[in-house]
Amino acid sequence: MADHGVLSFLLTTLEPVNFAACFFGALLGTLIGVLPGLGPAAAMAMVIPLTLKLGPTAGLIMLAGIYYGSMYGGSTTSILVNVPGEPASVVTTLDGYAMARKGRAGAALAISAIGSFVAGTFSVIALQFFAPLLARSALAFGPAEYFVLTVLGVVLLSNLTGKSRSKSLILIMIGLILSTVGMDPIGGLERFSFGIEAAQGGISFIAITTGLFGVAEVLTVMAAKEKPIEVLPVRFRELYPNRKEMKRSVGPIARGSVLGFLIGLLPGPAATMASFASYGLERSISKHKEDFGKGAIEGVAGPESANNAAAGGAMIPLLSLGLPFTPATAVLLGGMLLHGITPGPFLLRDRPDVFWGVIGSFYLGNMMLLILNLPLVGVFAKIVRIPNHYLMPIILVLCAIGAYGDNGALFDVWVMLGAGVLGYVMRKFDYEPAPLVVGLVLGPVMERSFRQALIISQGDASGLWASPLCLAMWGIALLSVILPMIFQTSILTTPEKGI
Amino acid sequence: MKKYERITAIITSLGGVWIMYYAWRTLKLGSIHVPDAGLLPFLCGVGLAVLGIAWILILQWTKEAENEGPAEQRLWHRPVLSLLLMVLYGWAMESVGYITSTFIFVIAWQKVIEHEKWLKTMIIALLGTFAMYALFVYLLKVPIPPEFFAG
Repeated sequence: MADHGVLSFLLTTLEPVNFAACFFGALLGTLIGVLPGLGPAAAMAMVIPLTLKLGPTAGLIMLAGIYYGSMYGGSTTSILVNVPGEPASVVTTLDGYAMARKGRAGAALAISAIGSFVAGTFSVIALQFFAPLLARSALAFGPAEYFVLTVLGVVLLSNLTGKSRSKSLILIMIGLILSTVGMDPIGGLERFSFGIEAAQGGISFIAITTGLFGVAEVLTVMAAKEKPIEVLPVRFRELYPNRKEMKRSVGPIARGSVLGFLIGLLPGPAATMASFASYGLERSISKHKEDFGKGAIEGVAGPESANNAAAGGAMIPLLSLGLPFTPATAVLLGGMLLHGITPGPFLLRDRPDVFWGVIGSFYLGNMMLLILNLPLVGVFAKIVRIPNHYLMPIILVLCAIGAYGDNGALFDVWVMLGAGVLGYVMRKFDYEPAPLVVGLVLGPVMERSFRQALIISQGDASGLWASPLCLAMWGIALLSVILPMIFQTSILTTPEKGI
Repeated sequence: MKKYERITAIITSLGGVWIMYYAWRTLKLGSIHVPDAGLLPFLCGVGLAVLGIAWILILQWTKEAENEGPAEQRLWHRPVLSLLLMVLYGWAMESVGYITSTFIFVIAWQKVIEHEKWLKTMIIALLGTFAMYALFVYLLKVPIPPEFFAG
């Protein structure tokens, strides 16, 4: 494709509808990041039905905006309230809140926003370079390669939550089974629908995700005692870091950007892992080790840059291979499928407008977030004070209409409630719901490619490992099972938590 | 905690066995060369059963984890009430329509769960319902259950 073609697709982001989608996505993402509890995956699941009205490009730009906007917003509450808006900002509380108590809240917020902007932009440039390369090389994939890729994805994604592998594998299996509910796409046989007409078309992805993330979150919040929140004040004129703070932040922002981007390419809670890794790195190489935990600017600049870069990095496996490596990108993948867009190597060839439009929106969104986050920080800080009991019923109403609106069937509302109860129980027993969503979205691709591969090879199962690509992926899958067994005795245990 | 984990592991393995049975009896498995509709569910059932049994065995061998300090105070009645209201809301959505049921749901939430004053309750319910109407019905034209009172 000629470069001017890429540029014209990138510029589609500036079309009014896409521009507006980017703005509202980034704004909503920031609000979600600011509000403790509700994460980007839940927000994206609730908003998917709305985006269906916008068309694929604008819809996906909005969903992506929520994803990276939440990374920005999460730092605000970490710094001002000592409550992380989302897990990737937990580490920012250590030095961000300490800075705020010393009267340097404005500087911490500004460095956080600047670091997020630099890292976000860096990761988009890298994404723009690497995603098409990977997608083009994956064009050689046939059904057999796709099947092995999904198997590899399931094996790798069993580490999606960074907790117990066995629990993740169980949830992926349940997700795969749920994905088979309804009419078999090849033979036309009904599976697991038990005569329920609304289930014959399959289980609604939106109902499951809004239930698992949204309703379960509300039930969790309702079960906890609400605590009054004290927000440290910040004035607009304080939003300038001094020269010393700027100088000390340059290195951590640069290192956080690269480290975060690389961690974003790994399966797991990339943004959270990236922020902790960056904090550890900065503390180990800093000349001011004694300042860490007491208000070191490096402890804000590095992790906040890293979690934003990781968000960009995590888009590469999604856009180029169709594999979601984080919970939020799993929901984004579901959103793409509902829009009739199949992420993977053919996305760049078949829908370059969507591919480059989403990438272009990252540039625009990062700029919007920088402009929004600094002057509006006081407003965002006030939003934290809104009591939960005003927000919770509204979130439930949004979840219900989202689930109902997907197929216009009340059955989906009951599915959502069932998924909500399941999600709540899962949280109580330390299960993360994301692997179930991964199974749900990868299931149809896995089954279809498996059966197609065997039809092509005329029933010869050796076709599933005949090509060098298939062999290599089987090898990686096998290694990723065997290596943890060697290092941790068993894949069924984790060192800290047992099973 | 270990007791609940054991129960979950047993449910997992029994669920896996049931899925295997359903896939084998009701759906057609085909073969590895010509797979049919039941093969993927069957294999997932096998996976669930094996993981569940492995989990039970590992729980037998591992020690109970030490208590990690005082647990956060939990209010069990609030999620139960929330869920009950949601079930009634779902039922009311179909019976009286989305807008009316949303209005009643928000009032019920504020009065039953939060014991909020009437004035605040009515303001929240009216604003919330109006916002939902404006966004979903007027702007986005999302299909919603029809209003009973609209005839």
